[in-house]
Amino acid sequence: MAAVIEIDQLSVTLGRREVLHSISCRLGASGEGKAIGLLGPNGAGKSTLIQTLLGFHQPSSGRASILGLDCHKQSREVKERIGYMPETDSFIANMTAVAFLRLMGEISGLPVEAALEKAHEVLFHVGLGEARYRAIGTYSLGMKQMAKLAQAIIHGPELVILDEPTNGLDPAARKRMLKLIREMKEDHKMNVILCSHLLRDVEETCDEVVILNEGLVVHQCDLEAERRMNRRFVELEVQGDDTRLGPALAGLGASGVCEGLGRWRIVLPAEIEIGALWQVAAGQRLLVRKLTHRRDTLEEIFLKAVGHLRATPGEAGTVGAEVATHGGV
Amino acid sequence: MAVYKRGYQRYEGGRTSHWNRILVMPRFSWQRLMGMKVTIVVLAVSMVWPLMCAAFIYVANHAELWQGLGGGGLSNFLSIDGRFFEVFMNAQAVFATILAAIAGPGLIAPDLANNALPLYFSRPLTRSDYILSRLIVLLGMLSLVTLAPALLLFVMQVGLAGWDWLAGHWIYAWGVFGGFALWIALVSVVAMACSAYVKWRVIAGALVLGFFTVLSGAASMINAVFRVDWGRAINPAMAMNQIWRTMMAMEPLDGPTAVECAVVMCSMGVVLLLALSRKLRPVEVVK
Repeated sequence: MAAVIEIDQLSVTLGRREVLHSISCRLGASGEGKAIGLLGPNGAGKSTLIQTLLGFHQPSSGRASILGLDCHKQSREVKERIGYMPETDSFIANMTAVAFLRLMGEISGLPVEAALEKAHEVLFHVGLGEARYRAIGTYSLGMKQMAKLAQAIIHGPELVILDEPTNGLDPAARKRMLKLIREMKEDHKMNVILCSHLLRDVEETCDEVVILNEGLVVHQCDLEAERRMNRRFVELEVQGDDTRLGPALAGLGASGVCEGLGRWRIVLPAEIEIGALWQVAAGQRLLVRKLTHRRDTLEEIFLKAVGHLRATPGEAGTVGAEVATHGGV
Repeated sequence: MAVYKRGYQRYEGGRTSHWNRILVMPRFSWQRLMGMKVTIVVLAVSMVWPLMCAAFIYVANHAELWQGLGGGGLSNFLSIDGRFFEVFMNAQAVFATILAAIAGPGLIAPDLANNALPLYFSRPLTRSDYILSRLIVLLGMLSLVTLAPALLLFVMQVGLAGWDWLAGHWIYAWGVFGGFALWIALVSVVAMACSAYVKWRVIAGALVLGFFTVLSGAASMINAVFRVDWGRAINPAMAMNQIWRTMMAMEPLDGPTAVECAVVMCSMGVVLLLALSRKLRPVEVVK
């Protein structure tokens, strides 16, 4: 089966500046109905990558393919199979939502009757059914986001590219947008690429994540596998002299890092139960103030990937040398 | 089942052809333009002169109506020749320009103002397809005030004067239809280029009219300052008139020849198309 996206040594230069530096990755190879998160700090090259996949930019070297089709040599075939929701406002202001959706449907290759029917159908689906005869220019920001999503899926694409879909949405609208994205992949078997700087959105919807930083792919992971691994992480907070806790944990077969003020981050081997930590703490005459299973969140994966946070304890070559520096995204 | 009850389902049916998709945008644009009162008014007013020309043709072909009114002078005046078609074309060319100034800016400027180009170009449409689809709208609209009345006048003249007249004057048909085709192509490209560079419709419309008046003034200034006559080549109206006269085998005007004028007009069209193509990008790259 062809991967949803396959990028091979792709470089993109805009003006005189190389924005993407020979990046390679293979995403969505495990089947249909997958959501891929595209993360990165501002200026990392996320939008440039999306725009290159859409054929808006010409690669200076390398190649990119979507669903097995070359993005540039088979641009027309690729565009027939994808839907795109841009980050910024994109619409035709004086048109009603139905007319706009119908136009977009017909340009995507739907016959006239089917385009009209689908326009109504998809507007009800995204929650704009009652406002479908209003001019899009009169819509609120949240409604415009939904209209943009509607135009991206009206023709039933195999891959939907969403650029910051939850931008400007209130909590309820954001929840609805994320639900729609999950439905797209789970019920309608569409592949989704979600470009967002909101890590929680990606965490809630995506199966795979690619993190870009300064034009390079710095991390790529299967989120489900990461979640399974992260069950072994523990956060411990103790009161008392914890200077000998480190060696005690090492004796147990666990590795831990003190973050100061009695706070510890510990990785437990799979065979050790969490109750063993109570015994170790009691042996050290420490008062346990807090003990939680700590999930290695996407935020931490992201911060590590972009260099704001050093590696998690337990990862190769980092035990005992861990210092957490909390940086902003 | 009602649409709102059915829920969303992915479309799995057949797709239309590429040409069909290109023609979708002109269809929507035509609907919108025909819904504008100002377009209808200009279209209606632009039909007044062809109606007068039709009356002229009728009178010219019914000698019994004016036999007693005058001598050879009137007979010469009431003849359907190159001069008649030249006057007809000049008047309709003005209406075509006004219509382009009204309709043209509404085609591209709103797409740029509302950032709609990424939506078009993320679909199976190229930049050339987009330009072509917009060009089709203008060419169709301008044909209504140029080629369509010209065809009616020709049909009327042939109907009244007989096929022999057409056999002897086919050069007028060539001049009128070919000349109008060149003019509406130029005016359409000017209107689209202005629309692409100015996001406000009213200003873009004024720019279309300004393009022709400024070039006309510049041509006169060049001729006056340098005491030459080649400046006329950059005056679209004069240059096109020279081309039309040559196509209809009429006496050419002083100044640059029709070929020279055609070269300048073609160059102008190519430059405008390049400028248009440069502006129509789905994303702005800041260098």
